[in-house]
Formats: sequence, C-alpha cells, structure tokens
Amino acid sequence: MSSKQFFVDRYSKLGWNYKPVTLKQAIRINISNAEEVDVVRRLESRGIKLEQISFIPHAYWIPESPFSIGATTEYLLGYYSIQEAAAQIPATLFTDSEGKMVLDACAAPGGKTVQLADLMHNTGVIIALDVEKRRLTPLANHLERCHVKNTIAYHMDARHASQLKIKFDRILLDVPCSGNFATDTEWFQRRTIEDVKRNAELQKQILSEAVRILSEDGEIVYSTCSLEPEENELNINWATKHLNLQTEPIDCYGDTARTEILGEHLSTSIANCRRIWPGQTQGFFVCKLKKAG
Amino acid sequence: MSHFGTRLSIDEALIIEKQGRYFLLNQKMKELISQDFFYAGTYLGKVRHEVFFPSFNLLAMIAERKEANKIMVDDKTEWLFIVGRDVFKRGILKVNGSGKKNAYTLVVNKHSECLGFGRILHNLDDVKDQGKVTVKNVSDIGDFLRRERKLRD
Repeated sequence: MSSKQFFVDRYSKLGWNYKPVTLKQAIRINISNAEEVDVVRRLESRGIKLEQISFIPHAYWIPESPFSIGATTEYLLGYYSIQEAAAQIPATLFTDSEGKMVLDACAAPGGKTVQLADLMHNTGVIIALDVEKRRLTPLANHLERCHVKNTIAYHMDARHASQLKIKFDRILLDVPCSGNFATDTEWFQRRTIEDVKRNAELQKQILSEAVRILSEDGEIVYSTCSLEPEENELNINWATKHLNLQTEPIDCYGDTARTEILGEHLSTSIANCRRIWPGQTQGFFVCKLKKAG
Repeated sequence: MSHFGTRLSIDEALIIEKQGRYFLLNQKMKELISQDFFYAGTYLGKVRHEVFFPSFNLLAMIAERKEANKIMVDDKTEWLFIVGRDVFKRGILKVNGSGKKNAYTLVVNKHSECLGFGRILHNLDDVKDQGKVTVKNVSDIGDFLRRERKLRD
C-alpha cells in the first residue's frame, strides 16, 4: 500500500502543497440544442445561481440551487449537461472538428462525447467506444437526451480500435486513470502506486493503438484526471520517444507541465502540456499530440 | 405516426434496426456502421409486443408538425407531467388537432417543447370539471432521470 503521506510528498516535489478541496458543480450549455442566453435566463428564473466559467466557453458554475440541477425541464430536454469544469477542457482543444471523423476512445458515460458532438454541430461522425458494457447504457441515454445525431457507439476496448478499419482525423483519449482525491474522498485509502503504474501501462497501450489509426494530419487530445506523473508527463514523454508523436502548444487553463519530474529530465516539449492541481476544479492533465513531421 | 394526427417523412434507407430498436443515420454513418453497434445516430424508438414506442427525439420531430395532436400545458402541469403524473383539465392551455377520447396527443409546455405524450381519456371539449384527469401520461422526459436512478440502484 502507498500512504496518503507518500502521495502528498510526491505532490510537494511536483510543486504543489496538498490541501483538501470542495468542488463546485458546473454545467455546459449544449448550444446545438438551445440559445445559451435563454437557458441561463430560464435557470435563473427558477432561482438557480449561475456564474460564467472564464476558461471554458458556454460553461457555468452553479454556486447555489434550490433543487437538483439535474431535475429541470431544460436538463431533460438536453439543453445542458452537468460536467465538471476541467473535464470540459479536452474537447475544446481540437482544431475545428466540424465535418471530421472523430474517435472518442473511452467514451462512457458520454459527457465529452456530447460536448464533441455539440462542437461539431452534429456534423461529421463520432465513433464512441467503451470497454465496459454496463457503461454503454448511460452513454446511450446521454446521447439520446442531448439529441446527438452523429455518433455511433460500440462496446469495444480502445486497444483494439484498429478493428474498426477507420482512419481518424481527431482522437480523444480521455483514458482510464487513477483519478484524484478531489472527486474521490477515499482516494488515499484505495489507491496505491501499483495502481498508478498499472494504469500507466494501459494508457501506453491505448496511445499506441491510437497512433495506428490516426490520419497523417490528425490530432490526439490525451487527458487524465490523475495527478500522478506516470500517467501524465512520463507517459507523454514516452509517446514522443516511441510513437513518433510530438506535443502541440495549447492555450488552456492550467499550469505548464514540468519537464523535470521526480529527478527525471523530460523532453522540453512536455512544457506544451497542461497540469491542473485541484482547487477550482478537480485535478487534471491534458495535452495535444500530432504525428511528428 | 398517424396516431398523432400527422405524417412524418423519413428516408427509410437511412434507418437501421437492432433488436427491435430503430435508429436514423446519415449517409456517412450508414457507410461506416457495422451491425455490432450499440447505439447510433438518432434513436427513433423500439418495438415491444408488436407495438412501436416512439423515442423523445421522434416525438420532438412530430411536435414540429403544425397539424400534430398537441396539448399545451401550464408550468405546474409541466412539472407534474415530467414526474409521471397525468394531466388535469385545468392544466391545459391550448389544444391542437384532435381532442377526442382515446386519441394520442403530444404534451408540450408553453415554449412548445415536447415533454412526452399521453392518451386522451375524455373528449376534451366535453370536460367541464377542471379537476378531472383528462390525459393519461404514457411517456414523459422524466424517464431520463428514472433511467439514471435505475442504473445507480
């Protein structure tokens, strides 16, 4: 077992002093389904307080609500989705996904899939995969509720995505990861460094498969909600060395990723990645990759 | 969809069926899809015991038709309907199309947004008692929440 102190010490070495956080609820307006200003007005008329999130378009904090934000007519009509703020970042990093062939390799329960479809204005095609069959029903419900028209969902392991025989212009790899303490109050009791290493290996396999099915000028956005460098900076460093990928500069909320991690010197291009420590949002890591020229 | 007093034109060549569930694709999706899909495109509905149950997406498409059977309900009735309740006469603001007993009618709110559909229990013109249940809830969008709860439990 790895103790809480083990991980807290790690975070300190990575430049962050641990403190407990209380996450704020956030929503994202599905602008393909409704006018943002109308949805905001209607929610405010119900006594729900909304504050615009500065670093994500069409996104709002919900600091106060007289009832569950998931119980309004507007929610049931698919006008907005409840989606943690940092989790809204990855889909926004693609360069113009409209009309493109897009893969959401680890899609369930579908928050990012719906967001992608919205950003694409339901054009092009999204292939959404998930390895866990029981999670496909919530994915399908989410797609249906939000009137997504351009997505095909399969029960498939992302490591076998080449079986689709499709080359993708955009690939979202929001990979299975160890999570973080901000969203899991028992994280320190449940997680060990062995879990982290096991997840990091799985993520490498998913990255490897994604490169096989990426079109020549395609983009991969890789994200985790883990704070552990094995799943983040170290994996991306490995990808740039072994998969002929290069990181791309991105402009988004978060800190520039470090290129010196726990005594290891990484490629300077890792600085193109973004690491988000828990605070306003949960912990998160995100980067964009392309095939090296 | 003639049950709702209107006809809807959908390109049957773009409809795919799996285990009694029907989905509407676009041309590109039709070319790409393989039969082991779980969900695809716009879900239209399912056949169960030889009866077709339309999806909320399909109901919304029907609701856009001017001639479709619809009742517009007030805010309180909107809320009650989406938690599964039936519709009282007093809650009906407007009737479009058929208000006859046993007809199926869409239930829309004051923004003309489709909340689901019901079956008319009494000729709406003949009902004087405002407290009488006049439309039986058959399907409402609150079902999305019930599905979430079912998955959690």
